[in-house]
Amino acid sequence: MTGLVGWAWLLPLPFIVLGLLGLPRRGGAVSFLGPLGVLGLALLGLAQLGNGQGVPDVRIDGFLPFLPDDAFVTHPDGLALSMLALVGLVSTCIYLYALGYMEHDENRHRFFAFLDVFVASMCLLVLAGNLTTLLIGWAGVGLASFLLIGFWWERPGTLSAGAEALAVNAIGDAALLLAIVILPVGIDSFDDLAVAARQGSLVHRDLIALLLIVAAFAKSAQGPLYFWLPSAMAGPTPVSALLHSATMVAAGVYLGVRVSPVLAVSPEVSRLVLWTGLFTMGFGGVMSLRQDNLKKGLAFSSVSQLGMMFVALGIGAPFAAFFHLVTHAAFKALLFTSAGGVIHALDGEERITHMGGLRKSLPGSHGLFLIGALSLIGLPVLTAGAASKDLILESALHHERWLGIVLVAMAGLTGAYAGRLYFATFHGSRGHGSRGPGGEASGSDAGANAAGQGDHAVHAPSGWLVWPLVPLAFGALGFGFLEVPGGLLSRALAGVVDAPELTPVVTRLGLVAGAIGLAGFFAGRLLVPARSIPLPAARPAWVQASSDAFDFLAEQTLALHTGRTSRYLLVTVVTASLAVGFVLTRP
Amino acid sequence: MTPISLLLVTAVVVFTLGAAALVQRRNPMSLLMGAELMLSASILVLVASSRVHGSASSQGAALLALVLGAAEAVIGLGLALAVFRNRARVDLDDASEVRR
Repeated sequence: MTGLVGWAWLLPLPFIVLGLLGLPRRGGAVSFLGPLGVLGLALLGLAQLGNGQGVPDVRIDGFLPFLPDDAFVTHPDGLALSMLALVGLVSTCIYLYALGYMEHDENRHRFFAFLDVFVASMCLLVLAGNLTTLLIGWAGVGLASFLLIGFWWERPGTLSAGAEALAVNAIGDAALLLAIVILPVGIDSFDDLAVAARQGSLVHRDLIALLLIVAAFAKSAQGPLYFWLPSAMAGPTPVSALLHSATMVAAGVYLGVRVSPVLAVSPEVSRLVLWTGLFTMGFGGVMSLRQDNLKKGLAFSSVSQLGMMFVALGIGAPFAAFFHLVTHAAFKALLFTSAGGVIHALDGEERITHMGGLRKSLPGSHGLFLIGALSLIGLPVLTAGAASKDLILESALHHERWLGIVLVAMAGLTGAYAGRLYFATFHGSRGHGSRGPGGEASGSDAGANAAGQGDHAVHAPSGWLVWPLVPLAFGALGFGFLEVPGGLLSRALAGVVDAPELTPVVTRLGLVAGAIGLAGFFAGRLLVPARSIPLPAARPAWVQASSDAFDFLAEQTLALHTGRTSRYLLVTVVTASLAVGFVLTRP
Repeated sequence: MTPISLLLVTAVVVFTLGAAALVQRRNPMSLLMGAELMLSASILVLVASSRVHGSASSQGAALLALVLGAAEAVIGLGLALAVFRNRARVDLDDASEVRR
C-alpha cells in the first residue's frame, strides 16, 4: 500500500479524462476525490515514517531513451510527505469551495481540468527525488498557473497577466535547467547533493546555489521578479487561493528548503537570499497598504510573507521557513477564499472602497477572514501564524540582533495592512469611498457593472463558500501545535532538515511581536482609504524597457514578413542552393 | 555521355524547372506540380545511384519516396481546395491575412 505513495501525483489525472467526457454533469463535482486521495496517501506515508519504516521510492528507468536510468525518481521522505499532505488538504478544501464559486460558470469542466493539471504537477514537484524530476513538476505548475490566470480570457488584462506569469516562470525554469546542466556527474538525487555539500566536495557550489535561488525567486515572486504575482490576481479567486498564495508560489521556498545544505556552504548566496527576502518583505507590506483592490492587497501580503520565509532561508533556518510555509498556506488560503466569498456576494466587486460594513450580512466570511487575519499578524498562543513567525524571529535574533529587531518591527507593518483590509471590508459603512473623485474610474473586473448604478445588493452567500473553509480555519488556528509543543513536524522532517531545539508555546519575543502586530491591526483602521486610489503602474520600469526593446526588434524585422508565399519560397530555394553549393565546393 | 550522367543531368534540369515553378507561379496547383517535379528529380537520382552501386536498396527508398509524394499531393490538393472554397480565387499571395 505504501508503494503507492510515490505515485500519488497520478491521482488527479483520471478526473481530467472524466471532464473531457463531460462527466459529471455538474462539472468537477467528484474531482475533489483526487486531492483527497493525495492527502490520504500522504498521511499514510507519514504514519509509516512514524513507525520507523521508510516509504519506498519510485524509479522509472529509461523512461526517455536519451536520459540516464536515475532520471525519474520520486522520493517520499518526511519533508515531501509533509508538503504533500499540506497540498492535499488545501486543494481538497479549495476544490469544494470552487464548486460554489464557479457555480454559474459554463466552463467548469475546463476549470477543474486545469486545477487537476496543477495538483498533479505540484505533487510531482513535491515528491521529486532529484532536480530533473522536480523540473517536470516545476514547469507543469507554471503552465497550470498560466492557464488558470487566463481562465477568464475574454476579460481585459487576464491574458497579459498570464503572459507575465509565464515569462517570469520561464526565467525560473531556465535557471533550474542550467543548475541541472552544471551539476557534477554522480549527483543523482537531493540526498547526493546534500552529502556532497556537507563534505565540501561540490564543485561550482556558489553558481549552483545562485541558479537554484534565482529559480526559487522567480517562482516565489521575490526581489525584482515580484510583479507577476499581483497581476496574477486576474484569475478566479480559488486559483488565487490555491496557486498564488498557498502552494505554487511556496514551491520556491520548498526548493530552498530542499537544497538548504547547498545554501549553508555558500555564504554569499545566503546573504543575497537574506537581503532580497528582507527587502521584498518590507516592500510587499508597503505596497499592500497602497492597494485599492482586496485581492491585490492580499497578493502583496503573500509577497511579503514569502520574503519572510526567504529571510529564514538566508539565515540558515530552513526548518523555520518550512514551518511558516505550512501555517501561511492555511491562513492565506483562508484569507483569499473568505475574501472570495465577499467578492462573490458583491457580484465581482473587488475594490475595498466599495465595500464596508459587511460583517452583518456575511457573518461566515467575516469570521473566517478575521481568523485568517489574526493568524497572519500572529496573535500569540491562539493562532498558528504566531508559532511559526515566532520561530523565525527567534532564529533571526539569534543570528543578528538588529535583524530580529527589524523583523519584530515589521510585525507592525503586517498588522497594519491586515487591519486596513479587514476594517475597510467588514466595518464602517457600505461603499464609503464610492462617491469620492475618481471612485468609478479605477478599473477592476466589475468596473463596467459598478459604474453608474452605484453599489450592488449583497446576495446571500451559498454554503459552499463557507463550510469547505472550516478545515482551513482549524489549520490557521491549530497548525502551530504541529511543532510547539511536541515537535511533531521536526520529527517528521528529521534527517532531511535539521530542526532547532524546541521552543515554549509563548516566548517573550512572541508576545512583543504579537502586541506590536495587534497595535498595527487597530492602527490599520485609520488607514482605510476614504476614496479610490489611482492605481500605480503595475510593471516595473525594467520590464517595460525590455518589452519596448522587443517591440522595436519586431518592428525592424517586420519588413521580412510580407505574407507572400512566393517570396518565402524564393528565400528558401536560394538559401538551400547556397547551402548545397557551399558544401559541394568545400575542399 | 554515359547513361548515368545523362540521368543525372536530366534530374538536375527537372529539379531546376520544379524550383523555378515554385518561385514563379502563384497558383497553388502550379506550386504543387513544381514541388512534385522536384521530388521526382530526387527520386531519379535515387534510381541512378541504385545502378551505380549495383544494389536494390535505393530503389526501395525510391518507392517509399513515391508514396510520400502521393501523400503530399493529397494534402496539398486538399488545402488548395479549402482555400478555393473560401475565397473563390486561387492566388496564394492573396491569402496573407495571417500576417496581421
